[in-house]
Amino acid sequence: MRGATILKANEDKTRQLNKHTLMAYVGEAGDTIQFAEYIQANIQLYSMRNSTDLTPSETSSFVRTELARSLRSRSPYTVNLLLGGFDPRTSKPELYWIDYLASCAPVPYAAHGYAQYYCLSILDKHHHPDISLEQGMKILRMCTDELKRRLPIDFKGVVVKVVDGEGIREVEYEDGGQVLAP
Amino acid sequence: MVGKDCVAIACDLRLGLQALTVSNNFPKIFSYGSQVHLGLTGLATDVSSVSELFRYKVNMYRLREERDISPQTFANLVSSSLYERRFGPWFVSPVVAGINQTDGKPFICGFDSIGCIDFAKDFIVSGTASDQLFGTCEGLWEPNLGPEDLFETISQALLNAVDRDALSGWGAHVYIIEKDKVTKRLLKGRQD
Amino acid sequence: MASLFQQSMPSTGPGYSFASAPTHHSSSGPRQHAFYPYTDNGGSTLGISGATFTILAGDTRSTSGYNINSRYAPKLFRIGGDGPENEGARIVLSVVGFAADGNALKERLDTMVKMYRYQHGKEISVHACAQRLSHILYGKRFFPYYVTAILGGLDDEGKGALYSYDPVGSYEREQCRAAGAASSLIMPFLDNQVNLKNQYDPASGEGLEKVMRVPEPLPQETVEQLVRDAFTSAVERHIEVGDGLQMMIITKEGVQETFTPLKKD
Repeated sequence: MRGATILKANEDKTRQLNKHTLMAYVGEAGDTIQFAEYIQANIQLYSMRNSTDLTPSETSSFVRTELARSLRSRSPYTVNLLLGGFDPRTSKPELYWIDYLASCAPVPYAAHGYAQYYCLSILDKHHHPDISLEQGMKILRMCTDELKRRLPIDFKGVVVKVVDGEGIREVEYEDGGQVLAP
Repeated sequence: MVGKDCVAIACDLRLGLQALTVSNNFPKIFSYGSQVHLGLTGLATDVSSVSELFRYKVNMYRLREERDISPQTFANLVSSSLYERRFGPWFVSPVVAGINQTDGKPFICGFDSIGCIDFAKDFIVSGTASDQLFGTCEGLWEPNLGPEDLFETISQALLNAVDRDALSGWGAHVYIIEKDKVTKRLLKGRQD
Repeated sequence: MASLFQQSMPSTGPGYSFASAPTHHSSSGPRQHAFYPYTDNGGSTLGISGATFTILAGDTRSTSGYNINSRYAPKLFRIGGDGPENEGARIVLSVVGFAADGNALKERLDTMVKMYRYQHGKEISVHACAQRLSHILYGKRFFPYYVTAILGGLDDEGKGALYSYDPVGSYEREQCRAAGAASSLIMPFLDNQVNLKNQYDPASGEGLEKVMRVPEPLPQETVEQLVRDAFTSAVERHIEVGDGLQMMIITKEGVQETFTPLKKD
């Protein structure tokens, strides 16, 4: 987006940090990619130097610290983040909600911006700690349908990536079809 | 809250952006060493930053001194660290609770965001529900409570106070600190 | 309920009379004088109803900003009854907020209750009086009486009746209510001790088996002691509350008034 004009409809707003950690970002146009790639480079550097990957919780701590440092600098990054990862040691998936103030919370599900108001109530109702990937995709569909139905702006669909023990992969996500409010 | 040879410290678990609840599992009490506990309310990012800063400082203290930090020393560390940021403060109002291992006496104190210490004999409150907490604590607390009675008192004081505050709640953590034992309990409370 | 008239959410200290007036600092144009018609005189009131009685209580301090206007300015008034002292009244009104509005409101309600008796030849019932008070408040919807009122009495069955109001007349019958400066301190305490909130029967099981304690009307002595505890607590932590505690206990025998000194600091 540049003002009210859409420049690109299918930009991937995620960066892969290491084999099993993915970071999604939204915020001020220049800041987002600058910050995301700075984090990506440092996490990758760590992996190269130490021949081991940071776990998602360690990564979240690093990201939060960098954002907290930036918050009290002369020009802070205005970037909201979601950090998803799979911890190969505990074999557990993790999700971290981080906002531009560097508030960080481990959560079972999360959203940023207006999506919070539309999706969190759906997730409150339908999410359960031990749902399968298929059930998860179903709830995701309910969320995107709700956004199409209720958001006044025409949002151009989503990029869906799955993080699990095998790593990170993008999955096909049928985005056509109009959903109308009743 | 102070009892007879014990202290208690408790917090709620909500993390929110104004009216929107983001997380309902965000503890605000951190322990440093076996007995010293720090409660932090305020801006969530500073709650994390300040808790990590003190983890670093207390670990350094332990390495230098080869002993655990006492609650009194920790309180002064908190005070001076906050005052360092006099003109760009951490937006937190901390509470310290612990038992001094030398004399076995309970210790609690609170701070404003720039480190002015408020020593109290009875209880310290902080956060968005502080008005309500003042009312419940002042009404329920009495001197020389034993650990179990102190647990009931602090729990009732906290739960009833946060139920009258729209910005607090979603369960609670309660720590009962005795000279050689710390008991942590999770309270469910109203989930709304 | 009274959110319309409360300022920013966590209370920001004492209410000022002229400091909170809308001020214009623009240098251009002629100087304009603004008159702000409201003051907050602080203080707190509290009402609890029982099976055969209602207790209303209020502190007697009147403040403006950090100053104390009076150490004995009652917030509790008998409504109806005979003569200037309202002898034989069965209804009590408590008002907290802007004292001048409180007095004006008391006078209006008192007149109306007396007029009711002259016109109908019988005493007004509490629930009729409660609804009348709501109408009086709403009648000034766009220039309200700056008060939180609590009305107490006995209903047709002889049970304690307590009605609480916001400044524009939204009202509700309740078991207990605290109002005024220290309401945020007193109310959660009352939730716990009167309505037994967050209390479970210790004989019941654990987890989901737990059974909440059921609130029952409390005996008069217990309620009087709770009121005293609530106010001594509020006095400790709120600067606008103190000096004296005035209580009015309404039973079928009539209204009994008591006065207990509170800390004057």
